[in-house]
Amino acid sequence: MRARLPDSSGLIQREGISIGYEVFGEGEPTVLFLPTWTIVHSRVWKFQVPYLSRRFRVITYDGPGNGLSDRVTDPERFSVESEANDALAVLDECDVEQAVVVGYSDGGRFACQLAHTHPDRVAGLVLIAPNLGLGKPRPERQGIKDNFFKPYPDQPRGWQKYNAMYWRDHYEDFVGFFMSELFSEPHTTKQWEDAVGWGLETEPEVLIAEMQHPRDPDWEGVVSGLQCPILLIHGTDDRILSHAVSVEAARIAGAHLLSLVGSGHGPQLKDPVRVNLAIREFIESVAA
Amino acid sequence: MRAREPDSTGFVDREGVPIYYEIHGDGDRDILLVPPSPITHSRIFKAQIPHLARRNRVITFDGRGNGHSGRPTEPEDHSRARNVGDALAVLDSVGSESAVLVAHCHANWWAVELADEYPERIEAWIAINPGVPYLGRSQQHWIDTAQTFEEILDDPQGWELFNRHVITNEHRRWIEFFFSSQLVEAHSTKQFEDAVGWALESTGDVLVGGELGAEIDPPTRPEFEDMCSRLDIPVLVIHGDADVCQHVERGRELARITGAEYVEIEGAGHLTLAREPVKVNTAITNFLEKGKAKEMRTTTWTRALDRPKKALYISSPIGLGHARRDIAVAKELRELQPDLQVDWLAQDPVTRVLDAEGEFIHPASEWLVSESAHFVSKTFEHDLHAFQALREMDEIMVANFMVFQEVIDEGHYDLVIGDEAWEVDHFWHENPELKRGSHVWFTDFVGYLPMPSGGAREEFVAADYNAEMIEHIARFPKVRDQALFVGNPDDIVPETFGADLPKIRDWTEQHFEFPGYITGFTPPGAGESPKIREDLGFDPDERVVIVTVGGSGVGRALLEQIIAAFPLAKKVVDDLRMIVVAGPRIDPESLPGHEGLEIHGYVPELYRHLSVCDLAVVQGGLTTCMELTAARRPFLYFPLQNHFEQNYHVRHRLDRYGAGRHMDYSSSDPESIADAIAAELGKEVDYVPVETDGAYQAARKIVELI
Repeated sequence: MRARLPDSSGLIQREGISIGYEVFGEGEPTVLFLPTWTIVHSRVWKFQVPYLSRRFRVITYDGPGNGLSDRVTDPERFSVESEANDALAVLDECDVEQAVVVGYSDGGRFACQLAHTHPDRVAGLVLIAPNLGLGKPRPERQGIKDNFFKPYPDQPRGWQKYNAMYWRDHYEDFVGFFMSELFSEPHTTKQWEDAVGWGLETEPEVLIAEMQHPRDPDWEGVVSGLQCPILLIHGTDDRILSHAVSVEAARIAGAHLLSLVGSGHGPQLKDPVRVNLAIREFIESVAA
Repeated sequence: MRAREPDSTGFVDREGVPIYYEIHGDGDRDILLVPPSPITHSRIFKAQIPHLARRNRVITFDGRGNGHSGRPTEPEDHSRARNVGDALAVLDSVGSESAVLVAHCHANWWAVELADEYPERIEAWIAINPGVPYLGRSQQHWIDTAQTFEEILDDPQGWELFNRHVITNEHRRWIEFFFSSQLVEAHSTKQFEDAVGWALESTGDVLVGGELGAEIDPPTRPEFEDMCSRLDIPVLVIHGDADVCQHVERGRELARITGAEYVEIEGAGHLTLAREPVKVNTAITNFLEKGKAKEMRTTTWTRALDRPKKALYISSPIGLGHARRDIAVAKELRELQPDLQVDWLAQDPVTRVLDAEGEFIHPASEWLVSESAHFVSKTFEHDLHAFQALREMDEIMVANFMVFQEVIDEGHYDLVIGDEAWEVDHFWHENPELKRGSHVWFTDFVGYLPMPSGGAREEFVAADYNAEMIEHIARFPKVRDQALFVGNPDDIVPETFGADLPKIRDWTEQHFEFPGYITGFTPPGAGESPKIREDLGFDPDERVVIVTVGGSGVGRALLEQIIAAFPLAKKVVDDLRMIVVAGPRIDPESLPGHEGLEIHGYVPELYRHLSVCDLAVVQGGLTTCMELTAARRPFLYFPLQNHFEQNYHVRHRLDRYGAGRHMDYSSSDPESIADAIAAELGKEVDYVPVETDGAYQAARKIVELI
């Protein structure tokens, strides 16, 4: 059973596809939770929604390709511009002028893009392990994109599975591998099972299309120009995106960084209490 | 001693009235603390300054009419315009472009006008128990007495004392009535004495001028409300709901019309900043944190199962004695729990001992205000009024508690061990929601005992302190997870906590466990002594007297008396050798010398000397006396005069062991000291043996909490 069912939900038609959203609670301000990489969907916020919706209006939605939204294979639909436009469309549909926006991993890119192009719509940003391409990638992930479309080795190990052909052949195995890297903390079986399940709700062609999204802007320039208050949350044992990304982002943005020592890439799922308290405190400080 | 001395001070001349100001700290942000009336001065913020000055530049000043500022008496000289101008002149004088205002009571009316007239100079406003016109409600007694203020009253009582003639002619009577009315909270004796003392630095004439000046040329209600509602700065209002001066409705309405953040402290009166310092300080800090300019800030949180087991050990720095026993306990703890990390929040002189042992001293220790220096500052000759010194340490205790709490909030400690860490125990009982981790309380005495010289007042105040402690523990029994008495039940004095309060021994036996005495070292066995004497260069045909007064710098007067006794004793005792240890804070060269007398600044391993000497002459501190008792050496001890712990608690314990010869400093002279030395030298003792496993027993009890 879900801990909190939405008070309302709906579908938005935008450029030919349906985007599904859900609304919980009715307090001010509104908190908009963004989608992230399509390998998961809006249920990654399952521990945040019941708590925060007691005080604030919470909106979640799924990006193109998973959850309640249509499955798409057009790389253009995965550009940060298009993703930010999905977020705007959800805000418009729900008559929200301004929201605190929460972005996780790839959702951190969408959040920064939205705050950059529509600063009047964003009261504050919470960026959890954001994928902003700052600092160096983790050593084991260096160069993996170069081999993405090449044939994979006979018995691929680790990040060698990060490969379009492997996904087509052994999608479930890849998802399992990726989620075990994502949840680097011990005692994360339930989180792993959840996330693998969400991954299997979409299909490899969607993720392969997403890999070919148009180029991002220069994040350093975007982030240093952001004017709204920002909270960064990042685990020091994040094996997907280095903790150093957020240290750098906090430095150039003048932001508050909450470093979670020992946490992996999904702290909102493994350390929900600490993350919930931090988000609430941030929202209240922004609203004051 | 103040918890923090200003980094600089100055005066600004305001048409002949000098205004004194102080600057504390050098943070990027300026905070101006504004006192409300000539009834007080800048010291009213004493509990806030050390805390705020760690991260900000804090500017405070004495308002016209009190402290180091001038004493005008004419009402025109106390107008709001003058007071607002003073605050602005201070800001100009210290080169502050923009500041956060913190104001108490009436100063908030000035704050509104200042922020309204100079919006670019005021970036935020913190209104504590605000006294502003019109808003909310006025207390009925102010409305009533405004009618009779100028009258000559026959027999004024109660609030009728708010009267020009009473204030002028019976200043103290009004002041004492006013502050005893304001301090509605139980156990406020120290705050009362402070407030009355500051008020009496000024005069009734000045105060009347201040009262009348405040009312000159008031705005209309709509004008004032308009001024408040157009303020475009963050505002924090803090009010006590039992405020007898400014009705709490006033704070509530001010918060409403300024759109402020509002903190209401239930049960608190007018002097929240003095009586609830921790709550007020944290409210201010949290408020300021939110409005911070864009700069990177990091918070670290460690996943629970990734945390090492950690204890924070706080060892009282008042005297060196605790350090050694605490190290012994820490060693035993690590034996029992090898993966336990022990961090020390400690200050000089404890840190010297810890450094030598290679213990880890938490870097926040550098923020601690020296309690040891405070006690030295309260010592005169051989006299230390320890209870009053503890009371006067209130400001230092708030400052150090705020440091401690920051360490605890971020450090994920499993355990806090406080060896007479008074500030932790007291303020965790006062703010129990701040407690984190398990808490072990160590002490070697229970109960403040009044000294005869303190008279009836001290009898009352000591009982009040004891009563507060008893109530704390009755109401919040979980704040101390373990309370350890360093000693045995028989060591507890056969006294009561005061009139109508329990017997100290009964209560202590109910609320403490008794690991036995903790010496911190094992005394040498009978067979080892000759070897140690040889190592230390003691000649077999000489008898050695060691004289030591500890490391605090207290004790010069006693040293001089004993040195004067040396030639007299030497006449009677031919083989006498006397070694005087002056300690790190007394220059040996500054003491008079005698043929055959040795004076050293520092003696390494002093406890080994003491353990094999033929006689020791010492102060009445527990640690040294008990070391001598454990080593079964004869000794003379001189308790510091007016030191309740040395005169009652320590003496009672030594009597139980049958140890040492008590000497009264005031009635001793070189002759009587020489006689005592001759009589006690080399004497066989029959002390009750001291246990040697106290540290282990204590550690065993503590480890149950991890």
